[in-house]
Amino acid sequence: MSKEEEFVEIVKQKFPDVSVVIKENKWGRKRVWINVPRESFRDFMKFLREYDEDAHYSIAIGEDVGEAIDFSIHFLLKYEDAPAISLIVKTSVPKDDPVLPDISDIFPISLQFEREVMEMIGIDFENAPDKRRLFLPDDFPEGIYPLRLDDKGIPEEMVKNAGHPYLLRRGE
Amino acid sequence: MTKKVEYWVKIPFGPIHPGLEEPEKFILTLDGERIVSVDVKLGYNLRGIQWIAMRRNYVQIMYLAERICGICSFSHNHTYVRAVEEMAGIEVPERAEYIRVIIGELERIHSHLLNLGVVGHDIGYDTVLHLTWLAREKVMDVLEAITGNRVNYSMMTIGGVRRDIEEKHKRLLLEMIKYYREVLPQIEDVFLHDSTIEARLRDSAIIPRKLAIEMGAVGPTGRGSGVKDDARWSERLGVYPDLGIKPVMPEDVTGEKARGDIYDRMAVRIGELWQSLELIEHALDQMPEGKIKTFPKDNVLVAKLKILGDGEGIGRYEAPRGELVHYVKGKKGRDGPVRWKMREPTFPNIFAIAKGLEGNQLADVVVGIASIDPCLSCTDRVAVIKDGKKFILTEKDLLRLSIKKTREINPDIKGDPTPAGVGCSRGVLL
Repeated sequence: MSKEEEFVEIVKQKFPDVSVVIKENKWGRKRVWINVPRESFRDFMKFLREYDEDAHYSIAIGEDVGEAIDFSIHFLLKYEDAPAISLIVKTSVPKDDPVLPDISDIFPISLQFEREVMEMIGIDFENAPDKRRLFLPDDFPEGIYPLRLDDKGIPEEMVKNAGHPYLLRRGE
Repeated sequence: MTKKVEYWVKIPFGPIHPGLEEPEKFILTLDGERIVSVDVKLGYNLRGIQWIAMRRNYVQIMYLAERICGICSFSHNHTYVRAVEEMAGIEVPERAEYIRVIIGELERIHSHLLNLGVVGHDIGYDTVLHLTWLAREKVMDVLEAITGNRVNYSMMTIGGVRRDIEEKHKRLLLEMIKYYREVLPQIEDVFLHDSTIEARLRDSAIIPRKLAIEMGAVGPTGRGSGVKDDARWSERLGVYPDLGIKPVMPEDVTGEKARGDIYDRMAVRIGELWQSLELIEHALDQMPEGKIKTFPKDNVLVAKLKILGDGEGIGRYEAPRGELVHYVKGKKGRDGPVRWKMREPTFPNIFAIAKGLEGNQLADVVVGIASIDPCLSCTDRVAVIKDGKKFILTEKDLLRLSIKKTREINPDIKGDPTPAGVGCSRGVLL
């Protein structure tokens, strides 16, 4: 039984409401893709920390998928011997209530990714200790999230310099 | 009786500072010379690459990925390509995998030599800077001979590599390995046995193992703190397992347990230089004959990806600075990805060093920051404060001002800065 299967067994026992898939790519690398409902998101993170103390939080991805916003995290688990478990945890929030619990007390680095997602996509992380902007300048207008695909994204008139920089005659 | 005075000061360090290579801002709270806390402000070089990528197709994004960073341009391209290949289920010829290893390791050598020089320069030991940067020229020449460029090599393509490594390149590579086997002992000697360097770098800007794990530190920063992870190894990436990859830990180089200070980070880099040379040698030996691309032409590739590109893919690769992750999500019938997101190794490392610097001396800031080898990029915004009001000058304004100035200096100038032709249409969602 591989490490991935062992991990999936434990997840299925503890969290019956999550959907788990193991996908293998062309060069034989397995990844575990897990969909977690918003309600058990925080408990799942606590479980990951208990499962592997050294769990490595690599990346958080926020994505506009139409009616909802997806939020996924890639973890590296049990990496004391190769290959390590590559795990992607995905959760989804509706656009009219884009709230997720903050997990920076469990994984401290997640705070910085949360700050990025807050300003770029517009998910609100409840009780996050630091809600300042990270990348965007301070004079960037409120309520506009650059990576949204709906009317909260960047409007046409805000787009400057998005073309050949030397096209001075037309752009003026 | 004297009253106790609160004398903590806050000083901004950056965004433009002679001690920093690239624009980033640290706000230091100081108690005398001792650092109390470090706050990081990023975004001085935010170019909106993810936003631009929504308007590009898969092949155009390869060029965009390469320009995220000049030093690890190959790594970004490599990781992006891996993510697309995983998503679309594209197989790569074996020879291409070996060429990827060779170029990737050449890039690691040049990046590590660059950082060793920068750290030497930051502690005022400029002899080291000249020594390492002179040695670095050799690998840059080899890269130029193989790929045609010193940076932005454009070697990767989805499903293989663009250029082959021929017999003449092989000779150059072997000659380069011979050169480094003579030069590296000198550099190693400086970093591991010089008493000045040891006194300066030992026990400064310590990132303990616990902090490194909390902050997700990666690469030489993580390994210097005792986190045994290397994405090439833990991912079993491509042909790396056949070449005998394993994470280089400080104890392999210095013989002592990892302490997580700057000295250990530099020791890991020295160890990786030797490892890269070995990997290139093995790769040259084992490289099979065969084709280097799955799709011979880019237009075929774009058409194929429109059908194959469906689902999600993750690419993980060990860039010179640490684990690099790219995520690509595609949709059938679309020319480009729906979402492309990347995470640079410097992102977690910079927060780890910001925490690690607490309690250190102000003088350690520059070398501490250099020791994680930060890699941001160049800025295109200038803020001007005039009559108490802040204006942001965009690229266009700066260009207009510079044209005005040129005309002022030389009124007879004939040139017309407007280019002929239409150029690309931009700003339209695919």
